[in-house]
Amino acid sequence: MRHIYCQSIFGLFCNVGKSPSPKFFVIFLFGWLLFSSSTFAQLSLNDGRHVMEISGGVSSYFNYRVLKPDALNQNRNKDRFRLRDAQIQIEGRIGNLYEYELQVDFVDLASFATGEIDPENPGLMDAYVRYKGLGFMDIQFGYGKLNYSRSSMVPFTQTPYWQRAQIVRGDIFSRRDVGLTLMKNLWRQRINMSAGVYTGLGEITLRGDNDASGGLEYVGRVDVAYPSRFRYRDIDTRITPIPMFALGVNARYAEKNLPEGGRFPTFSTGEYGLKVINGERYVYGLDAAFQYMGFSAQFEIHQLLARPQLENDPLFRGLPVEIHEGFVRAGGYFGQVNYFSKKFKTILSGRFEELNLTDLEQGASQRLSIAVAYQIRGFDSMIKFQYFSILSEETLVDPLRWTEQFRIGWQLNFR
Amino acid sequence: MHVFFILMMTFVWSSPPKLKPFGYINIEVPEPSDIAVNPLKENSYFVVSDDGYLFEMSGEGKITRKADFYGNDCEGVHADSNYVYVVEEFTRKIRVFDIHTFALERTLVFPYSGGRNKGYESLTYNPVRKVFVMLTEKDPIYLLELDDDLRLINEHYLEGIAGDISAATFYDNHIWLLSDEDMHVIKLNPQTYKEVGRWYIPVINPEGICFDNGQMLIVSDDMERLYRFPIPQ
Repeated sequence: MRHIYCQSIFGLFCNVGKSPSPKFFVIFLFGWLLFSSSTFAQLSLNDGRHVMEISGGVSSYFNYRVLKPDALNQNRNKDRFRLRDAQIQIEGRIGNLYEYELQVDFVDLASFATGEIDPENPGLMDAYVRYKGLGFMDIQFGYGKLNYSRSSMVPFTQTPYWQRAQIVRGDIFSRRDVGLTLMKNLWRQRINMSAGVYTGLGEITLRGDNDASGGLEYVGRVDVAYPSRFRYRDIDTRITPIPMFALGVNARYAEKNLPEGGRFPTFSTGEYGLKVINGERYVYGLDAAFQYMGFSAQFEIHQLLARPQLENDPLFRGLPVEIHEGFVRAGGYFGQVNYFSKKFKTILSGRFEELNLTDLEQGASQRLSIAVAYQIRGFDSMIKFQYFSILSEETLVDPLRWTEQFRIGWQLNFR
Repeated sequence: MHVFFILMMTFVWSSPPKLKPFGYINIEVPEPSDIAVNPLKENSYFVVSDDGYLFEMSGEGKITRKADFYGNDCEGVHADSNYVYVVEEFTRKIRVFDIHTFALERTLVFPYSGGRNKGYESLTYNPVRKVFVMLTEKDPIYLLELDDDLRLINEHYLEGIAGDISAATFYDNHIWLLSDEDMHVIKLNPQTYKEVGRWYIPVINPEGICFDNGQMLIVSDDMERLYRFPIPQ
């Protein structure tokens, strides 16, 4: 393991074939450093009742992949710079009744032309209005993040990683959708409850195509924190002086039976064909979080139960009904531990994750990730480094071309 | 090895002296965001709430009075013998209430284009310079001076003083600031606004500070508690 690691680090700076040169890499980082040393701040407009705030962010990284020796097209998607985010966010509040948010990522808008939408980075990230006038609960309508999975709800810019855990990246269940959400908190915001109904097509609903099944998706979540409210954050940057805990449970259900000859919009079923299925689909999950004195930890587990209506559904992988019994299970979990050193402005984090894309095949994939982030100016100007290692693969379902990845880059938020 | 070194050094390197609270009580005010001593009544305080309300509260944490007012994100409060002054962060307004009747008497606007959640968080009076002092929360932290008629007359940039400032008060001939993110109490020279002392308080989400009966009082927003500390020396 040590040998492989050293070899990979060496390759990061010395592999000069067709990849960017080390000199260019250093200039790139230095340029970001100069740029980030200036002061950032959100801007707001205010007429005394309506407050509108404009913010944004840019992030970019260099990615080095260790490909398998026998992988085809060795130069494709190997080493690259990537502009991950180029976002503008407009948030507002009108009196005490309305809040709204519109957030766009220009990088991912460009990819709309292909028809595919990356669920972790959709071009349109939020477009919703929240009405707070009822008093006993809030109503949110429009497009935005679903209240499902604590990790998914944590803003990406508040983590030291360049990629979320596989199970919550949006390939198994959607992270955003159009619909209606009811929200309520109790016990001094220690209990948060939400329930909503959505198209069930997830991020792909932005393309505007019709869902021939006509079915919707229903999502509910409850989380409890103690001894105080626990914000959706991974890192204990406040060095919490009292141990804090949070526990959440969530579930979602969709019944989407296509009429004969009907089909779902292109790309809506996701990378593994699990996000939208022709039949009944249940997903349920549990998450837990802890933080104390700069240490924090998260654990999350999800199970998916799919009951396709057709016996020849690809999810059954061509197996006879005696074996699949009319249903397929998938799921996974991850655990993450973090430490924030305020003195050194540094976050250290490790994550282990397992993902099983079908119980009809042997095996599951396992990954180990390590992240280090240095805060030049809090999360608003932060260098992030992430190392991934594939410990095992679900070869028959999701074969990979690489064994390790390194990503290092910068995130800058104009907040 | 390096990871271990960083962890060790973090614990070993010096940090401000830690203050231990005498104790705490749960208070009835929801989401308290600042506290000020009621100068006309013993064992009585004014507390504002993120929800937009102004309360009078007893030392036991009971609500004794509530203003007939629904504001926007009230974050700072100060009182003198005639008025209670409330700062609304979102709308950049100072609301002036009659201390006896709780009637709203004046509303003043102080435009500021910073983040809507990074606006004015605290207000107090500095008798040394004979000015009101109002601070922005963060990014950046400005200390604004207002004259006795609440007109803006000066601005100081408190660069690097803290991650944020959540409250301010005047006591014992000094300005005292509270930082929520750092959990620090910071003592300033009232003439120069230079730091002369700093202490760590182990309180989650401290949002308000005042001094009364020989104690330092801190309110916690998330915990909805009033903590009592010895006065930092």
